[in-house]
Amino acid sequence: MSIASTTQQICFLVLSATTVVGSLGVVLLPNIVYSAFLLGGVFLSVAGLYLLLNASFVAAAQILVYVGAVNVLILFAIMLVNKQETLAAIPGLLVRRLLSGAVCAGLFALLLRVAFTTTWALPGPTPVGEEATIRIGEHLFTDYLLPFELASVLLLMAMIGAIVLARRDVFSTDVITGEPADQGLIEKDRTPLLIEKSAPAPTLLSKP
Amino acid sequence: MADLFLAAASSVTTAASAAEAIASGLGTGALALQLNAGAIAPEVAVLLTLVVCLVVDLAGEKAASRWVPPICYGGLGASLVLLALQWDSPLEPSFLGSFLADNLAIAFRAVVAASTLISLLLSWRYVERSGTPMGEYAAILLAATLGAMFLCGSTDLVSIFISLETLSVASYLLAGYMKRDARSSEAALKYLLVGSAAAAVFLYGASLLYGLSGGATSLATIGVALQTSASPITALALVFVLATVAFKIAAVPFHQWTPDVYEGSPTPVVAFLSVGSKAAGFALAVRLLVGCFESFDAQWKFLFTVLAVLSMVLGNVVALAQTSMKRMLAYSSIGQAGFVMIGLVCGTEDGFSAMVLYMAAYLFMNLGAFACIILFSLRTGSDRIADYAGLYQKDPLITLGLSLCLLSLGGIPPMLGFFGKIYLFFAGWADHQYLLVVVGLVTSVVSIYYYISVIKMMVVKEPQEASDVVKAYPAITWNLAGMQPLRAALVGCVVITAVGGVLSSPLFDWASSTVAGTPILQQAIAAAAIAPLG
Amino acid sequence: MSTDLASPIPLEAFLSVAAMLFCVGVWGLINSRNAVRVLMSIELMLNAVNINLMAFSNYLDGQLIRGQVFAIFVITVAAAEAAVGLAILLSLYRNRETVDMERFNLLRW
Repeated sequence: MSIASTTQQICFLVLSATTVVGSLGVVLLPNIVYSAFLLGGVFLSVAGLYLLLNASFVAAAQILVYVGAVNVLILFAIMLVNKQETLAAIPGLLVRRLLSGAVCAGLFALLLRVAFTTTWALPGPTPVGEEATIRIGEHLFTDYLLPFELASVLLLMAMIGAIVLARRDVFSTDVITGEPADQGLIEKDRTPLLIEKSAPAPTLLSKP
Repeated sequence: MADLFLAAASSVTTAASAAEAIASGLGTGALALQLNAGAIAPEVAVLLTLVVCLVVDLAGEKAASRWVPPICYGGLGASLVLLALQWDSPLEPSFLGSFLADNLAIAFRAVVAASTLISLLLSWRYVERSGTPMGEYAAILLAATLGAMFLCGSTDLVSIFISLETLSVASYLLAGYMKRDARSSEAALKYLLVGSAAAAVFLYGASLLYGLSGGATSLATIGVALQTSASPITALALVFVLATVAFKIAAVPFHQWTPDVYEGSPTPVVAFLSVGSKAAGFALAVRLLVGCFESFDAQWKFLFTVLAVLSMVLGNVVALAQTSMKRMLAYSSIGQAGFVMIGLVCGTEDGFSAMVLYMAAYLFMNLGAFACIILFSLRTGSDRIADYAGLYQKDPLITLGLSLCLLSLGGIPPMLGFFGKIYLFFAGWADHQYLLVVVGLVTSVVSIYYYISVIKMMVVKEPQEASDVVKAYPAITWNLAGMQPLRAALVGCVVITAVGGVLSSPLFDWASSTVAGTPILQQAIAAAAIAPLG
Repeated sequence: MSTDLASPIPLEAFLSVAAMLFCVGVWGLINSRNAVRVLMSIELMLNAVNINLMAFSNYLDGQLIRGQVFAIFVITVAAAEAAVGLAILLSLYRNRETVDMERFNLLRW
């Protein structure tokens, strides 16, 4: 066994360990800020795994987009919605967590079994290595042209929509008549919020 | 910073798409022939409309509310005309196998485009009344349409994923469009979380399919690879992919988002989601199940039978207990999805054409019902079923329209819905799907009960029994901007629902020529015909 | 193992990491009470999918690397979805002053 392959194996073990431990931290740690930073760590480890898989371009994209954009966005969101709130205790929460943990462990066992029992078409063709970026470009302008163009519409729409939803100013009057606008749902202004618990409305079934 | 990145990314890709548009605009070049880009001409019309709406919106809100509606009518009308011109044209895969404009795709794309057109007619007054920007609203709804239309014809996992996400992201934004209302935001958040989780599950299934086929993303190639593999991995991939399809068409047990999203979202958006989004989901189901998993016919048909029975029973029974009109229609739409699934499970010529026919009928009757609900809520500010009591003395148009559409949804004879439903049951019976047909008949009776209850509420009550809302009913006026389109859509849908049943033979012809012009359906029918013999 | 020549790490090792990440994401999705954490869990699930795609792309599709292109699309969409999700969360927070999933109950489940 050569030094190169031993190094790769060690790298893989370290990266996958940080990925898994980091992801557990993301879902388990009580402080959301720690979770967000651990999420950045997970993204970086995954980028390292991509490097092991001969995909330097996607590794760079992963770091730029996930660590540089998504993670920063999440941190901003945490800062914007950071009111200290004590979460009301919910009875049976622990049981629920354990039950869902068991379900997820079962799913994990199933996925592992499938991964190990399936006969993959190995060995495949030799990886292209550093030419990958060229191949990706070729794909984007030949057989994946349609999704590539559609992705531009998706990004444009996400940008416009996010701005519309997140900005504060909305018209306070009806554009045509000048009446004060009712941003609360038009059909809801008669039913005050949170009425459901106190007074159950009559149903169709209870009507004669 | 992240927004900057998005802006940069989208401007780079839009620039690229502009360059591409120029390249394909040259028309007769070798590139255009190879790409066969004419197949997406209807989508290009929608895309241009979207861009023009955004540009017009820059001129201010007054200009937008004046010009956006006619632009949208023109663009969607052009799209429908282009779709009609594509009908029965020679089939060539376009975009190197990413897209296929067979008759099935054209039919479902037409349903999607028509549902957007009618939803937009219903929207204008609502959007203005709520004081939200109109240009952006139209642009986001058109983006959802674009995603749904591409989804109907995509034949490649990557195209399916991107068009699915275009539809989904635009739908989340629309669901949360009334941003000062907590219910709308909450509906949007729930929809987004469940939808993104479903997308992640779909992607996991897609990645397994990619590995299983040794590196193919085209559905046809994967279908060939699946024929030789019978390992548990295919079953897993099937379940993962099916979960997403069931989420899109709101089949039980993947339906939990439906009532909440329908109740919280703006009503015209719900009208689009209940028809356009659902039609795209069914087109996706046909592409994936019939086109890709054909070698696992028995398995997915069994799973879909279970889903259909659960949807019909739960949707129609829970609808009985609802007090909100939108929530009742949400559960009823779950039940309706169950009926449509009967056609898919049959896998015969009649089954598929019944499915297409019922989707078209559902378009008109459901949107007609939504038009009445929107009009009522604009006038009174209520959508409680009890508030409709005694309505016929004050507003005969809503009473008549809503009654006809609900009767049609329930499947009462002279209406359009009756013929659609009877065709579905006939196809199911001919294919020996007795369980499905019996459950369908029983739950239809249940559904007729709750539809008739609403009609009884509106018609039978004495004037003194009328609800406070109806007693204080405002004078009927049509002179506000946006009311005329609403009335036109209402009357159009109701007339087609009422008369379409009697004159439905062109619809039947249309549905069966849809099936005849779709190679994957023909293959499936041929396979199903051979199977019992062999 | 014939793949040892090409890579000292078996394909199944990558698939296992992806499966683990996916299951952790699913658990977080079900159990997180903070809406931001639910969004993070979804990002974990998408990363798991990407590891799967990249592994298959390297081991089974080394010449055409369609999986890498697929992964780039997934990354793009994940960024768009995160931006939209956080915008919706922000507008909900303005209305309700909370990010606790258990208190988003204006609409009954």
